[in-house]
Amino acid sequence: MELVRDEIKPLTVSIFLLLLAALSSCTSTTVDEFRQGETGIESDQSIVILGRRQASDYETRSEFVSCVGDRMTRGENPINIVPEQEFVDAMFPWFEPRTAPLRTSDLERLMAEEVVAEKMAEFGIRYMVWLDGFTETTDRSGSISCAVGPGGAGCFGFGSWEDDANFDARVWDVGTQTNVGTISTDATGQSYLPALIIPIPLIARVEANACLRLANQLKEFVNGS
Amino acid sequence: MRVKTTEKTRQYRKVLLLFAVLLLTGCGVSRVVIEGSFPTPNVSKLPLTIAVYYDPALRDYAYIEYSETGREEFNIESGESHIQLFNAMLPAMFDKVVIIESMEEAKIRGVDAIFAPAIEEFQLALPAKTKLDVFEIWIKYNMRLLTAEGDYIADWVLTSYGKTPQESMRSAEAAINAAAVVALRDLASSFSLSFSQVPEVRDWLDSI
Repeated sequence: MELVRDEIKPLTVSIFLLLLAALSSCTSTTVDEFRQGETGIESDQSIVILGRRQASDYETRSEFVSCVGDRMTRGENPINIVPEQEFVDAMFPWFEPRTAPLRTSDLERLMAEEVVAEKMAEFGIRYMVWLDGFTETTDRSGSISCAVGPGGAGCFGFGSWEDDANFDARVWDVGTQTNVGTISTDATGQSYLPALIIPIPLIARVEANACLRLANQLKEFVNGS
Repeated sequence: MRVKTTEKTRQYRKVLLLFAVLLLTGCGVSRVVIEGSFPTPNVSKLPLTIAVYYDPALRDYAYIEYSETGREEFNIESGESHIQLFNAMLPAMFDKVVIIESMEEAKIRGVDAIFAPAIEEFQLALPAKTKLDVFEIWIKYNMRLLTAEGDYIADWVLTSYGKTPQESMRSAEAAINAAAVVALRDLASSFSLSFSQVPEVRDWLDSI
């Protein structure tokens, strides 16, 4: 009897995973790379990924920035990443939204400050990556109604929406103070929420896919491959 | 006649009490005490001994945001966090910093100048009102630099700005706090980088 239960368990898990995969919504991701210079990184060097926060109506989420950084430290040829907040705090007040360099010429001016150059060397920063972008939800349609009564509760209806994640990563070489390339990611996906007593969310993992693809491309880019 | 309290009645009472508490909470003003950590600026120190005077108006500074119906919506207390910020920032900018309780104390301490910051204006922009997905905070300051005798050296206006995106799993209070911390960091960055470029301050630095 115990043997039968042991056989059923992996089967149930497999069916559940298969169902989950079938129910998950599709996402399409496009990555564009524009190289302007040679790249390469040593094992004792590191990179810092920073989010742009100058726009008035949006700001690059720190969760996305740390997601890209975290992905780059995994797998083959991992890269040393300096966490964004640690870097910004150590460099205070030079990388705040109002004072952060917008162009490579600003970085050149910044590196002339002794304290900035010292801290950069301390961290062993070879490349500085500026992430700029956001995820927008559009085309919301459908409606879901839920009701609670003495006999129980339930929902009925159908909702759908589209998520579009657009992110640009500009790579600056700290040594030469030049822009060595730009990688753009555009991920779109349709999410659905059918509800027949229980709402079943079929969420397109748009931002997670954008993060994964961008991180892989960035890793290859800074490794020079 | 005595009414016997059964277990069920007690449970109903508890539920009703909880409901009443929730209703009353919904009607009250939300108190937000700004809390955050502020890093020390990496700037060159000026060879000066500065006395800092925190006016009671700054120490107890609170801003009240009213709803469209005129009801008090948020009470944002930022006096203590401003003092924390100045206490972290000023020792990185000047050789010696002393906190004084009155302007007269500065003469006895033999300082080069007295710095007295003041908040002139505070503005909060909520997503519900602006229809933008961000919480924004603007703060306008009046910075005063006086001699140890209390005579005028410089008096300038500084503004700071902070914003934070609206997130589904974060309360409005937490978002206001995050936006205020960004605004305070903005104040520290612009103050520490622009202090010696204020024309009157520059003239005074040249004269000593």
